[in-house]
Amino acid sequence: MPSTQRPSITGLAIDPPSLRPPIDDARIERVDPAGLHARLSSLKAEGFTMLLDLGAVDYPQRTPRFDVVYHLLKLPPAAASASEIGTPERVRVLCGLPAEHPSVPTASDLWRSADWAEREAYDLFGITFEGHPDLRRIQMPADWEGHPLRKDYPLRGPARERSPRPAFALKSNVQAGAPPSGRTLEALQREKNA
Amino acid sequence: MTFGTTPLSPELVSQDGNVMVLSMGPQHPSTHGVLQIMLEIEGENVVKAEPEIGYLHTGIEKSAENLFWSQAQTVVERMDYLAPLSNALCYVLGVERLLGVADAIPERARQVRVLFAELTRIASHCVWLGTHGIDLGALSIFFYCFDLRENILDLQEATGGARMHPNYFRVGGLNGDLPDGFTERLDALIEKFPGRMKALRTLLVGNPIVQDRTIDVGVLSPEDALAWSVTGPSLRASGIAYDVRKAFPYCGYESYRFDVPTRSEGDAYARFLVRLDEMEESMRIVEQVRKALRPGPVMTDDTKIFQPPKETIALSMEALIHHFKIVSEGFRVPPGDVYQAVEGPRGELAFYIVSDGGNRPYRIRTRPPSMYNLQALKGLAPGNLIADLVVMIGSLDPVFGEVDR
Repeated sequence: MPSTQRPSITGLAIDPPSLRPPIDDARIERVDPAGLHARLSSLKAEGFTMLLDLGAVDYPQRTPRFDVVYHLLKLPPAAASASEIGTPERVRVLCGLPAEHPSVPTASDLWRSADWAEREAYDLFGITFEGHPDLRRIQMPADWEGHPLRKDYPLRGPARERSPRPAFALKSNVQAGAPPSGRTLEALQREKNA
Repeated sequence: MTFGTTPLSPELVSQDGNVMVLSMGPQHPSTHGVLQIMLEIEGENVVKAEPEIGYLHTGIEKSAENLFWSQAQTVVERMDYLAPLSNALCYVLGVERLLGVADAIPERARQVRVLFAELTRIASHCVWLGTHGIDLGALSIFFYCFDLRENILDLQEATGGARMHPNYFRVGGLNGDLPDGFTERLDALIEKFPGRMKALRTLLVGNPIVQDRTIDVGVLSPEDALAWSVTGPSLRASGIAYDVRKAFPYCGYESYRFDVPTRSEGDAYARFLVRLDEMEESMRIVEQVRKALRPGPVMTDDTKIFQPPKETIALSMEALIHHFKIVSEGFRVPPGDVYQAVEGPRGELAFYIVSDGGNRPYRIRTRPPSMYNLQALKGLAPGNLIADLVVMIGSLDPVFGEVDR
């Protein structure tokens, strides 16, 4: 269906993080999925005791398609005293994953804080974390289909594609009528046939 | 095994007949929002606690990807609805770094940002203290705290027009200068604050009921705190003096004198005292900003990212074009990624922002401090009473808009 919405202006950068030298305090490393766990272990042994955050980004036009991003923090030894805080060190580890069956080893055996963050990346991006103790959806309901933060997932959900207000439903930078990911398309078909 | 009609995940069901599975929440007054905790209990003792989140998931990160850079700020503000200006500060700092205008922000704008970041910390801690008081059975604290918070919300309303989400910070500076009479109202608050804090301390700090309920409850060792990535007051109560304002100064924090309160006990009482101290340290910063405030511009003059002043539009063709472009398609941000962290009231709040060069954020990944702090509950709860679990949740101070986003 034709959209009355003005097309949005998207940037042309396919791999934005590679285009710029770091503009924040972090040291940036890019590793392969195969070497990821070993690298994270050695960083932990170096003193990066905190996994501050773990997130994912979807670059559909790039190979590899997904990035898993780890933000680590190393506190100086004197962090226990209020007067000698010093300057902690940050490192950012990026790991590219393919579009088909994106999967990395879990980091929850190194840092317990990875637990929920990995569940969230699994829930919203469909990235599997091998060896995670309890990998299930965390934000979306357990029976949800598809992974909402993927770029090919429509803004208002697949069911809203049939909204009586198409112009409004299509207000997204997702191409109109983009096939939803996962089994959602089948689910729509099933509903239609039922 | 089922709970009502909901099948329970098998790991929550013990084979031992003495253990009962209890779902606490999501509609439970002491969970400070929509938190569900699947508890395995033996009598009153918690054997295992599994927090279930996501009841307030509103897809803010997805929404933000579909809004202009300036519009996305309004939704990221709503993650932490008790300290919206901390979120706004983190977002605008990150976008300004991507734009490369971080050094061009006028001094007055930076000062006012710090002023409101600290006021919002006090307001947020007021809500925490009031509701934590209710958890402990001290209802009257709530009114003292909310009265103080109301004064701060009045100041927010004076700037942006809205009490809770003023949307006052902008990429490039501030929405406008402080309104007339603002400094007088701020002075009144600065004058009122010490007396109110003294009253709160008198009511609470030596209070035997508060001490009985919180001392040695929910002890978080420094190692556990690091393993769970706990940040903010909860980390500092475990003896680690990590504060983003000191470690990675932003927005001119290096020029203000303030201490980072720490404690070594790591229990709920220590977290309680650290937050009380923090409120006073925040007010110290507010007073310094008040003294340092000088008249000046509050917005960068780069009209490529901010609408030119209204009066110039009728006189300048260029201003008219910039105005039209910004209103109709927003500004564009050069491609790149940035991890911007600030010290929010709950800990290290950060946005990992990716731009592909377009007029909308490509991806905004939040580091929600509440989520990581709340996760530590899995390690804290086992072996404690259910009544103590309520105190632990309160002392970790989660905000569910941010946990679930």
